[in-house]
Amino acid sequence: MAELTSFGFRSGTSLLHRLDVRFKLFFLILISLISLSGDFIRLGIFTGLLTALVIHSRLPLKSGLKGLRFFLFLLLLILVTRMVTTPGDAILEIKSYSVTRQGILSGVLICWRLTIIVLLGFAFVFTTRSLEIKAAVAWVLKPLAFIPGKRIATMMGLTTRFVPVILNQANETAEAQRARCVENRKNPVYRLTRLGIPLIRRTFEQADKLAIAMEARCYTDNRTDPELSATRIDWMALGVMILICSLVVSI
Amino acid sequence: MFIIEIENLSHRFEDGTLGLDRISLQIQEGAFVVVAGPNGSGKTTLVRHLNGLLLPTSGFVRLAGVCVQHDLLRARRLVGMMFQDADSQIVGETVYGDVAFGPENLKLNRNRIKERVSHALDAVGLTDFADQSPHLLSGGEKRRLAIAGILAMEPRVIAFDEPFSSLDFPGVKQVLKQILALHQSGHTILVITHDLEKVIAHADRLIVMQKGKIASDGVPAEIVNAVETFGVRAPCASLLGLEVSSWLN
Repeated sequence: MAELTSFGFRSGTSLLHRLDVRFKLFFLILISLISLSGDFIRLGIFTGLLTALVIHSRLPLKSGLKGLRFFLFLLLLILVTRMVTTPGDAILEIKSYSVTRQGILSGVLICWRLTIIVLLGFAFVFTTRSLEIKAAVAWVLKPLAFIPGKRIATMMGLTTRFVPVILNQANETAEAQRARCVENRKNPVYRLTRLGIPLIRRTFEQADKLAIAMEARCYTDNRTDPELSATRIDWMALGVMILICSLVVSI
Repeated sequence: MFIIEIENLSHRFEDGTLGLDRISLQIQEGAFVVVAGPNGSGKTTLVRHLNGLLLPTSGFVRLAGVCVQHDLLRARRLVGMMFQDADSQIVGETVYGDVAFGPENLKLNRNRIKERVSHALDAVGLTDFADQSPHLLSGGEKRRLAIAGILAMEPRVIAFDEPFSSLDFPGVKQVLKQILALHQSGHTILVITHDLEKVIAHADRLIVMQKGKIASDGVPAEIVNAVETFGVRAPCASLLGLEVSSWLN
């Protein structure tokens, strides 16, 4: 649980911390879209910008990378796959597989793009309170009359709230079963069923209790609107970001 | 003045079990009442009728003169409830967000919400934890957070369902101090418990329930010795013929 909660908001006073969440969300989408079709030069510029922001915001890279270790493994897998499946000039041949120059370049490019997008998400999550993210989602969905924005935002919040509870319960159930020598049963389906069924039951019971507690506190969809306010810094950041992105696109 | 008036209240669950059987009682504003009884005696069912989480099969509950069923929102503002499992009561992703949940539901403006939240956090001593995830709090702190969430709704009655379960000694003392402070500030307090030891020294009324009925009701000192007849453990001191003293002493 501590591992999970280490990958979340860290308070601070940096520019990223002070920016309005809607602007940050817009920058995240804008840079991600440009990065998806970016070449090495464009990605280099964004990497420089991102590095400066990470250093300025004092983001905890170590714990972030720890949280992203499975993603790094995925990147490695993508790189290897692209290296051996892209046709081109062979650099190295292992049995019937050949590693091509084009494959390496294409693999590195894809991994770089994905890394930039994930690091942007990382910077966003570490500098934005989940309450603000919820507020931004409700704000974005507000004009869409047929989508209950506030309810979706509340559900998002509850999901975030439930993840550590479910993990905790899974841990407790697994420990209780280990104490009764479940490890002697080698059949993974048996073990999964024995863990899954009580876990699901307990999760539903918790959800039931939570619903009653929310009702006791007068829960309604028609709640106070979340607080969002754009300042001069946000508009200046928007101007600078549009300028940088225009330059990057025109290269 | 009676803040709570219950008359001939019965509740039958969907499976046909009778949870409450023709209960009638009145509670004075500002009282400190302990509702005791063994598991399944109907304590929680009774309290859940006070803010309309459960509705009567027959009979009625009036809060400050108004029937609960006629205005559920008013009932839920008047009666704050702390549930047995504090974890299941936490809605927010941060301590601040959790306390603000109730006032946001009341559609208060942001300034009023901030005011109420900071006042509630200050009252329970959790101001420094405002940005923290509630799941990282200790058992006692979680209970205090639940109390802050209730205080932000500015209720007149606060019902605590087994407030000391699974707490260590310092945790019990923290929560007990909080309950006493709330009582001193004028709130009507209802504590539901099967463990009288920790709280009975502070109560001015004891109601003992058994099988959905009120088995005994009176001043604690007068009836506490007889509670074991109804499946409730009497405090050690009273069994030894001594005066029951506070856990805070």
